[in-house]
Amino acid sequence: MNYSINVCWMYHDIMDLYGDKGNMMVLKKRCEDRGIEFNLDTCGIQEEKDLSTYDLIFLGGGADKEQISLIPDLLSRKDNLQKAMDENTFILLICGGYQLFGQYYIAADGSKINGLGFYPYFTDTGEQGKRCIGNIVIDAKLDDLETKIIGFENHGGQTRNVNSPLGKVLRGCGNSFDAGYEGYYDGKILGTYLHGPLLPKNPEVADFVITKALQKRNRSFSYSDLDPIDNPFETKAREVLLQRFQVK
Amino acid sequence: MKTLSILATKVSASLLKIIGRGGSMPGSIGLKLDSNILSKLHFKGPVILVTGTNGKTSTANMIADLFQNAGYHVVTNRKGDNLKAGITTALLKNSSLSGTIKGSVCVLEVDELNVRHILPYLPVKAFVVNNFFRDQLDRAREMEQLIESIENVLPDYSGELILNGNDPNVVRLSLKAPKAHCTYFGLDQNQYSQSKTNEASEGKFCPVCGHKLRYDYYQYSHIGSFSCTNCDFKTPEIKYPLQNIDLEKETFYYQGKQIQSPYEGMYSMYNCAAVLAVKEVFQLDLDAAIQVFKNAPQPLGRNEHFTKDGLQCILNLVKNPTGANEVMKVIDKDNEDKVVCIVLNDHEQDGTDVSWIYDTFFEKICKDSTKKVVCTGTRAYDMALRIYYENYKGDIEVVEALDKALQASFKPRLKTYVIATYTALYPTRSTIVKEMGL
Repeated sequence: MNYSINVCWMYHDIMDLYGDKGNMMVLKKRCEDRGIEFNLDTCGIQEEKDLSTYDLIFLGGGADKEQISLIPDLLSRKDNLQKAMDENTFILLICGGYQLFGQYYIAADGSKINGLGFYPYFTDTGEQGKRCIGNIVIDAKLDDLETKIIGFENHGGQTRNVNSPLGKVLRGCGNSFDAGYEGYYDGKILGTYLHGPLLPKNPEVADFVITKALQKRNRSFSYSDLDPIDNPFETKAREVLLQRFQVK
Repeated sequence: MKTLSILATKVSASLLKIIGRGGSMPGSIGLKLDSNILSKLHFKGPVILVTGTNGKTSTANMIADLFQNAGYHVVTNRKGDNLKAGITTALLKNSSLSGTIKGSVCVLEVDELNVRHILPYLPVKAFVVNNFFRDQLDRAREMEQLIESIENVLPDYSGELILNGNDPNVVRLSLKAPKAHCTYFGLDQNQYSQSKTNEASEGKFCPVCGHKLRYDYYQYSHIGSFSCTNCDFKTPEIKYPLQNIDLEKETFYYQGKQIQSPYEGMYSMYNCAAVLAVKEVFQLDLDAAIQVFKNAPQPLGRNEHFTKDGLQCILNLVKNPTGANEVMKVIDKDNEDKVVCIVLNDHEQDGTDVSWIYDTFFEKICKDSTKKVVCTGTRAYDMALRIYYENYKGDIEVVEALDKALQASFKPRLKTYVIATYTALYPTRSTIVKEMGL
């Protein structure tokens, strides 16, 4: 059977901070190396797109000032995004994208910016402009898959009221300075502050995202149906860092 | 306290010099004794500050040389010690115990985030700003905050602002400095100017009204001729732009005269443009500037060539995506068979966040003529993954030890490009010298 996934990268020209395009490179190669067709589309401000037709939607992070410019457009797509989620389009959100799916966030200048409001979490700004910056490792549970996720966080936003976090923080900050937990995952969306970018050093997460995307049109597809990939660097890349951070 | 502070700085500077060290420690001691020491100094001549993400060391050094050639006695922090303590060291070492700076001009390179600690406290006559790029974001926070920290000290500044008219992030400073006089430098459209770009990560939106910026052309990254689609923010008039750029011959025309640039690449042209703008403002001789360009020293690890027994090695420092992209372009232009060795560290001064490697066009080096890519440094495997996901068809080798990595790079006896991040530069340079037997 020939599989394919159709991906929409929203606001790729604005939300591309911290090398997030690397995530798309990883998904593309891990699909194509397995004979899965990978179609990447983008959606900019005022572009007419039916987001519910895609298997995966990706929204990254941007600098404060640039991010604000897309908010009216994003909010105008709320019903369409709801439809996409109802119809099992999987959604991957990094940093700003993650914040925008919650109630609101407070920008660095103190202004309150309403999000899409799909989830009860909200984001305050760090006290006195403090930011969570540094390497981070979390113990994540994605359905049946348990994996350590390694990345880099750099966010002033303090996300609170997260009822279904992505994982437990082993090193670093997470959703806020004292959170102990990082990100959000509920089967429909994966939101996280992790850059690095996220996927190159976390191949299991990459394959999980591919699985979720494939499941939109192939309900019975499972993670174990993916062929193994011989990448000589990913295991060692993880080992070196987990050892350096003394995380077992 | 002032005299004590100056004395302590001078004594510690000379003691450190005896034991072969220098740097910013004397100034740190001076600042501990009197934190306001900078504002208590006396200086009759002009102070010139130079900042920007890329090229500030070369530009400040050339401006210092320009004044020297014009007969001035120059006080400068030439070694690139550009934080508050380093600048204090440079000034106090050259001042009398009563606090009078001995010299006729001060040319100071200033780290972008330290401008706010320096500009309000010295009699600054000219403030030169070259460019703002994303640079080590984890240290510098977001660029917006960085620019705002400079804007905040401009309302009372009444000297000359010498600004890159092709960088919207720099031009916006003029809006916050009502008392200052502005001089703009830049480049005219030339054979390399492009109507589209995929390498600009800044300059998408107008800093005044937030609407999209439109570019008539780009010179590199987000540097070019811009105008806002909504308000009247745009590239200002540049009285004497650099014209007819030739990157092969590394020449440009200035007021009708062909001049040799000391360095490669479009970004270096802007350093020259900044130097010439300073020349105009202080009405110095053009010949003094031409001499500066002719004699400018090649900094270590900036396109530095090593050759022995038919083996050629070229070393480049990379600090951020924009600088790295310029290096990639140089490698991309070279169709000879080659090896590329990348030394990626993630120490404080390199930037602990290595995600910038995905903002950099490493695909330019992943072509058929690149026979092998060797990755080393504290983030060697991150680098290998970056190249792997680029679908590179040649060999990728990870070699953790630097000397072994260079041995592996030199083994095919092909032209070898070595790219190193900041903390890796000097160890890499000395290992190249050792492994090549130079």
